[in-house]
Amino acid sequence: MTQVYFEDVAEGAEIAQLKKNCSTQQLVLWAAGSGDFYQIHYDKDFAKGTGLPGLIVHGALKNAFLGQLLHDWIGERGTLRKFGCAYRGMDYPAQDILCRGVVKKKYSDGGKHFVELDVWTENPEGKKTSPGTALVTLPSKS
Amino acid sequence: MADEFEITDEMRAQFGVDGTPWTYEVTTTSVRMYARGIGSDDPIHYDVDFAKSQGFRSIVAPLGYIGTPVFLPGKNDPTFGFPRREGGPRLNIPFKGLLDGGTETEYLDVICAGDVLEETSHLADLKLRDGPRGKMLFVTNEAVYTDKATGKVVAKQKLTSIHM
Repeated sequence: MTQVYFEDVAEGAEIAQLKKNCSTQQLVLWAAGSGDFYQIHYDKDFAKGTGLPGLIVHGALKNAFLGQLLHDWIGERGTLRKFGCAYRGMDYPAQDILCRGVVKKKYSDGGKHFVELDVWTENPEGKKTSPGTALVTLPSKS
Repeated sequence: MADEFEITDEMRAQFGVDGTPWTYEVTTTSVRMYARGIGSDDPIHYDVDFAKSQGFRSIVAPLGYIGTPVFLPGKNDPTFGFPRREGGPRLNIPFKGLLDGGTETEYLDVICAGDVLEETSHLADLKLRDGPRGKMLFVTNEAVYTDKATGKVVAKQKLTSIHM
């Protein structure tokens, strides 16, 4: 894993993207991992019975995808302080979910080097389905 | 019934009142299962020896995973697993539909397999909005996770659910 340093980061720059495409098996794996066995994520008839068009991807799984995006970017010496997102749109199995992030602000305080980001998941139509923010610290070269 | 639902002062009076604390466990099996669920192949979430070689006490919980609530039949929700604790808010929500609204997590320490956490949770906010299918109730809970071994708060989380 390549380590990103505070000095390497520019405000407005996009971080490396992470693409996901959930099979129904992955949704079941996630259900087992998270303990969320709500049927709208694996029982198509149940999902349709609630008015949904079909199975949907767990909101918290998209949150975890954004966590993975940040984990991969900050590297072993970076630290995630805070992150979160709202679930504004639905994503579906067998459909690409693009996880993206852009550096909003960087600053140093108390010997720590902070980076604020906008993060989100994006569906194939380019709609931000899970917009959020993150705060991380990165190591410095100095 | 749902169309007539209103947020009352009695409901607002429950803001900030912690329910009974609950134990959340972080195990090697649960960390690996969660990592498989997100499709991660980072050995830091799977290989104990590798994680230790990187300076961690065991495999590291993927971001977003803060343990699994201990399940006691009759005391946890059978679908979602969350505890139906005593002393927590009782809202009698009439809506049948339920969706996740959002998650915010503040990390104060790294969470690893072997950690046993005490979670306390309270109702933080209620909002009623008009949606395409009628009224929608946004319920926000705040949780604090404390490492039972050290007494240190390791994470704080804000969870919003949407009832409609």
